[in-house]
Amino acid sequence: MQSIVSKGKTIQEAIETGLNLLEVSKDEVNIEIIQQESKSFFKMKSKAAIVKLTKLEQKPIQKQESEENQIDVDPFEVINDWIDNIPDSKSMPEFLTVEQENELKQDEWTKPQSESLTGNAWVKNGVLLCECSPTRFPMVTIPDGVKVYRNNQIIQERTFVMTEKDEYKIQLESEEKETSWELVMDPQKLHVELHIEPGYKITRSLCDTEPAQHIDLVIEERKEVQNTLSYEDVVNKLADLGVKHGFHQGEIIKATEASEPVVFTIASGIEAIPGKDGYIELKINTKTENKLKENEDGRVDYREFKTIPNVEVGTVIAILHPPIPGKPGRTVTNEPIPPKQAAHVFVKIGRGITVVDNKIIAIKSGRPYFEERGNIVKFSVMPKLIHQGNVDLSSGNIRFMGDVEITGEVCERMKVEAEGNIVVHKSVNMASLTASGAVVVSGNIVSSEITAGKNNIVVAEVGNLLEPINKDLIRIIQIMKQLMSSPGFKANDLSRNGLQPLIKLLLEKKFSTFPALIKQYVKTVKKGENYLTDKIWMETAASLSKLFLSLSKEVISIEWIMELSKKLQELHELSQMPVEPNSYIVIPNALNSRLYCSGDVKVTEQGSVNTKIVAGGKLNIKGALRGGEVFGQLGAKVNEAGSESRTPTLISVPRDQKIYIDTAMDGTSIKIGNAQYNFIETRKHIIAYLDKNEKISFE
Amino acid sequence: MIDFLLKETADENLIVLFNGDLDIDSTEVVEEELLPAIENYKLVNINFENVPFVDSSGMGLLLTIVQSLKAKGVKVTISQVNEDVQFIFEMLQIPEILGEDTFI
Repeated sequence: MQSIVSKGKTIQEAIETGLNLLEVSKDEVNIEIIQQESKSFFKMKSKAAIVKLTKLEQKPIQKQESEENQIDVDPFEVINDWIDNIPDSKSMPEFLTVEQENELKQDEWTKPQSESLTGNAWVKNGVLLCECSPTRFPMVTIPDGVKVYRNNQIIQERTFVMTEKDEYKIQLESEEKETSWELVMDPQKLHVELHIEPGYKITRSLCDTEPAQHIDLVIEERKEVQNTLSYEDVVNKLADLGVKHGFHQGEIIKATEASEPVVFTIASGIEAIPGKDGYIELKINTKTENKLKENEDGRVDYREFKTIPNVEVGTVIAILHPPIPGKPGRTVTNEPIPPKQAAHVFVKIGRGITVVDNKIIAIKSGRPYFEERGNIVKFSVMPKLIHQGNVDLSSGNIRFMGDVEITGEVCERMKVEAEGNIVVHKSVNMASLTASGAVVVSGNIVSSEITAGKNNIVVAEVGNLLEPINKDLIRIIQIMKQLMSSPGFKANDLSRNGLQPLIKLLLEKKFSTFPALIKQYVKTVKKGENYLTDKIWMETAASLSKLFLSLSKEVISIEWIMELSKKLQELHELSQMPVEPNSYIVIPNALNSRLYCSGDVKVTEQGSVNTKIVAGGKLNIKGALRGGEVFGQLGAKVNEAGSESRTPTLISVPRDQKIYIDTAMDGTSIKIGNAQYNFIETRKHIIAYLDKNEKISFE
Repeated sequence: MIDFLLKETADENLIVLFNGDLDIDSTEVVEEELLPAIENYKLVNINFENVPFVDSSGMGLLLTIVQSLKAKGVKVTISQVNEDVQFIFEMLQIPEILGEDTFI
């Protein structure tokens, strides 16, 4: 019995589809509903109706009907008729004998009429064919990129049931893409790249498929590359871009032959070879800092400090290597590329030094001194003064243009000033030590003021003042220029009286705060005069004062002011540069004192009590910090901060630095940038930093 | 070089009509002729309609006129300043120096 299962949106539709497939009418089948259709909102879960149609043994029914209709017909005749009809097997394939079937199977499948192909589909010469049997309908699966039309209507399902009576059309799309290409020149005009994507044509054909009950349509793709790029195209485009230099002919030809998207460098310029900066080659060891080493107990052996390297007259301290200029390059458009300029090193000659043929030579014996700030290096030879015994009323204050070593104490109200380092073997009590270099004291520091790297401190101070001054000065220049080009402004008095009347007008209101800034700068420079070895600070102070404070009658041009502004800018930048090597302070203990240093400060023993410390470098207190305020520009490390009696103790660092405290007691405050944190109970192993929200956090 | 014309109004105030550039060459004229002539009025208006150019010395001079008259109790106003000159006055903040109510 032949039966099929059929689907539809409604039961009615499902039955009709089934009947169509079976090519029978409704009353020739038995209908069994397998699934009712169901709908829900938005068709999200709608189910198809499914029915099973079973073909009824129609003939007997027909006979019966005919019997009923023609009662008068002889039943024997009817049977005879029926028997006569038996050999007519064509109309009733079910009655084929096994023998016949075998015969048919031996036939070639290419014969679509062949009986063995019933219920199969196949593809021959690009045509989809099928033969249905009443019991089997072939299934065909459609691959991606292929459209199959049944009676000019596209089939949406992936797999469909094929019938003989419908007309099927298969649409195979072919693709075609044109060659695309472009030239890309880098901003430096050093390389031209050719990006090419060759065009192609893809043709698809349907492959032959053996007959089967279920076939997949198989598509064959043929891709044909069509690279239409010509050598002339590229050359013309290169000419448009102005490329004149450094072609790679071979690469262009390769590009015209390319079969895949690819990038060719078809022209290259010549890169400039950067110059080599000038540099200083030191011939002696100038680092005394390394001589002060901690032993295993973490204590510093101060006696080691005496082993400062000394130079004799005539020793070559360093060799100045001039910069080696670079070589210019060439762009693909044939323009020269200037090389990076090689920087010069400027040597400043201090005391006891001379330069002969790029060689820096000591002309005095003493400790060689070398300092680097930006591209300026300073050399000098520091003579040394050794003061035996104490510095007191009988010895008087000591001022020396070099290193000073004191074997005794520095007593009450005495002063020691040195352009080099100061070393004191015993204690410093109610005294003041000021050095441009380092300060090392082996004894206790009590109620004293110690300054190391004084020159650097002063330079930083005056340098900072220059920033707002120059900002205003630049604006003044701008306004002057703007005025001079204004239609209502007559500039002829400027050549007679100079800029002073105009400056006076500007200072009247617009820059009324400017003179105060200059006054402060002039004052600060004067105060630090002894430590500002470079005369340029005093010169700029004098120029600014003449121009904006005394308003002298001297004729001054705008160019002169611009020149001054440039000088201020350079000085400010110079003052912001790190100094190498920087100075430092190393002491065992400090009590009620003040320590200023442009570099590191190290307190190596019991610690610091009620002392103010400002370190331009790192601050390291090996012992306790009880009371006072300490600051470390490059971070602070304290073993124990605060005290049982909750003495106020403040440790501060800039916002980008960390504070390390092993034990912080109640009363200790830390400040990072502008954020402050107060400890209200003892806390251990602290590493504090400023987090993204500008709040103090602990690691 | 500046020239000026004095015009007394009905209510015994003075109008000064400037004519020419207010520049460095005007110093003598202003200091020696103009100032003595106007310091006895209560209210002086300086008309800038015919002043096409100023220079820095001229502006300095203007400040001197207004400020010294003010010290003597004379109120000075300035009017009809042409656009180019006004631009320069503003760049140098002269209205702020003299008081905004000076310019009418």
